[in-house]
Amino acid sequence: MTAAILAEQLMKTYRGRSGDVEAVRGVDLEVAKGEVFGFLGPNGAGKSTTVRMLTTLMTITSGTARVAGFDVASQPHETRRRIGVALQEAGLDARQTGRELLVLQARLFGMSRTDATDRAQALLEWVDLTEAADRSVKGYSGGMKRRLDLASALVNEPEVLFLDEPTTGLDPASRLTVWDEVRRINNLGTTVFLTTQYLEEADQLCDRIAIIDGGAIVRRGTPSELKSELRQRLQLDHEPTLDDVFLDATGRSRQRVAGDVQEIHA
Amino acid sequence: MKTSLILGQRALRESLRTPDSLLPTLLIPLFFLVVNVGQAARIFPSAGTEFLKGQNYAAFQLPSSLLVAASFGSAALYLVEEVEGGYFDKLRATPIPRMAIAFGRLYAELVKMLVLGAVMVLIALPFGVRIEGGILGFVVLITVIALWSVVFSGIMQVVALKSRSAAATQSASLVFFPLLFVTPNFVPRHLLTRPMEIAATVNPVTYVMEGARSLILDGFDGPALLRALAVIVAAGALMTWLTVRTINSYD
Ligand SMILES: Nc1ncnc2c1ncn2[C@@H]1O[C@H](COP(=O)(O)OP(=O)(O)OP(=O)(O)O)[C@@H](O)[C@H]1O
Ligand SMILES: [Mg+2]
Repeated sequence: MTAAILAEQLMKTYRGRSGDVEAVRGVDLEVAKGEVFGFLGPNGAGKSTTVRMLTTLMTITSGTARVAGFDVASQPHETRRRIGVALQEAGLDARQTGRELLVLQARLFGMSRTDATDRAQALLEWVDLTEAADRSVKGYSGGMKRRLDLASALVNEPEVLFLDEPTTGLDPASRLTVWDEVRRINNLGTTVFLTTQYLEEADQLCDRIAIIDGGAIVRRGTPSELKSELRQRLQLDHEPTLDDVFLDATGRSRQRVAGDVQEIHA
Repeated sequence: MKTSLILGQRALRESLRTPDSLLPTLLIPLFFLVVNVGQAARIFPSAGTEFLKGQNYAAFQLPSSLLVAASFGSAALYLVEEVEGGYFDKLRATPIPRMAIAFGRLYAELVKMLVLGAVMVLIALPFGVRIEGGILGFVVLITVIALWSVVFSGIMQVVALKSRSAAATQSASLVFFPLLFVTPNFVPRHLLTRPMEIAATVNPVTYVMEGARSLILDGFDGPALLRALAVIVAAGALMTWLTVRTINSYD
């Protein structure tokens, strides 16, 4: 059985006028089919850059990646047919209604008008947007936009779903709704690759996680493996949280984080 | 092709939903027409001004106004908004030829300009403008204008994709706008001052304007129409090449 995602020595260098940025420096990933995989890291660590490379939206500087069995660089079309993507900035077209947006998305995946209409209706029900379906997206709340974005990533019943910070900026109730949706999608057999800033989210949803910092992966494993590794290494007398693992992995102590906050306030 | 049509229909739907951006495309050119004719009509009375061929000055000015309408590049402004807002990436993640995203908008531009051009000509008719080329001339006239608007918007779309900034795209259309006026805009080319005549002769827009004008004043003037068509085909080919190249290498 082939992996849902297999990346080897993935690198991305942004070339700009003010010099080059090595955003991703040799990332290896192996995500099994049916998994929920969490990709964690502080701001600027390279999460979105990795997602954009894996979803064919950005060229790969070096290294290879296969998603759903296809090479993203040489077989972008085949890859796109089999993946769903909800990017960090829920890029929706504010002038369309939710329904129109989903119908359009489905038609771009080659469905007939009738099939696309049915698919849109099913997805609207799935993410609980039937009431707002015929209103312009402009008037949607942040949570509704996220759910619509999620629905639009599902029109083609993707084998692999990429979610870049699907719950950032959502209130706790909306966040739980998205978690619930991710679980339901995963239960249908879809592999989920999600990035997040919320350690609890990773703990709750993910079978395995990787922590990226400065463009390189610094930890990987199941949440419980990572916690017990930290407990043993630091000989803690209590069970650490995933927060502790994260802070340890990214070299940020609580004190330093607190100090940063004070500096910003000063 | 089919994808371009699907995306084009959506672009049209959006244009109709934003009348506040559609209306200026109609009103500003009409404003130019009224102001230009109002200022110059007494210098160029229809009796005694040979180049008017018996029509009034509005007939001479109409092609300029149509070209103003064709040079708003609104397709590019919608596109850059989509790039900035992230919806462009969502479209790029679907299994469609990427150029369909750009060509869909150009298809919408074509339809929009055919309708807008027809409306503008119809508005001009009660003011004594006659289309010498008849019904067929009218159809060819608005087709030439609509095709030019596709070429112009397409080039603006390339700027939008390269700059990814609404501000830059807007300034680019301001850079191209003067080309409309380095033309035989007020009088035929042979009456321009020498430097202006030279500038107008190298400006491709001149030939589109002259071709359009010939349909109104002369009927079917083969050479003038062919020159207009040649400019549109050449600029269109360049635009298509740039668009495909830019959107396929968009990263
Ligand atoms: N288009 C770009 N041009 C130049 N540098 C970029 C570009 N996009 C991202 N970067 C840089 O690449 C690095 C990684 O960015 P990326 O967006 O992948 O991080 P991230 O982990 O998603 O962060 P966040 O949590 O803030 O979303 C950062 O240093 C960022 O400044
Ligand atoms: Mg990010």
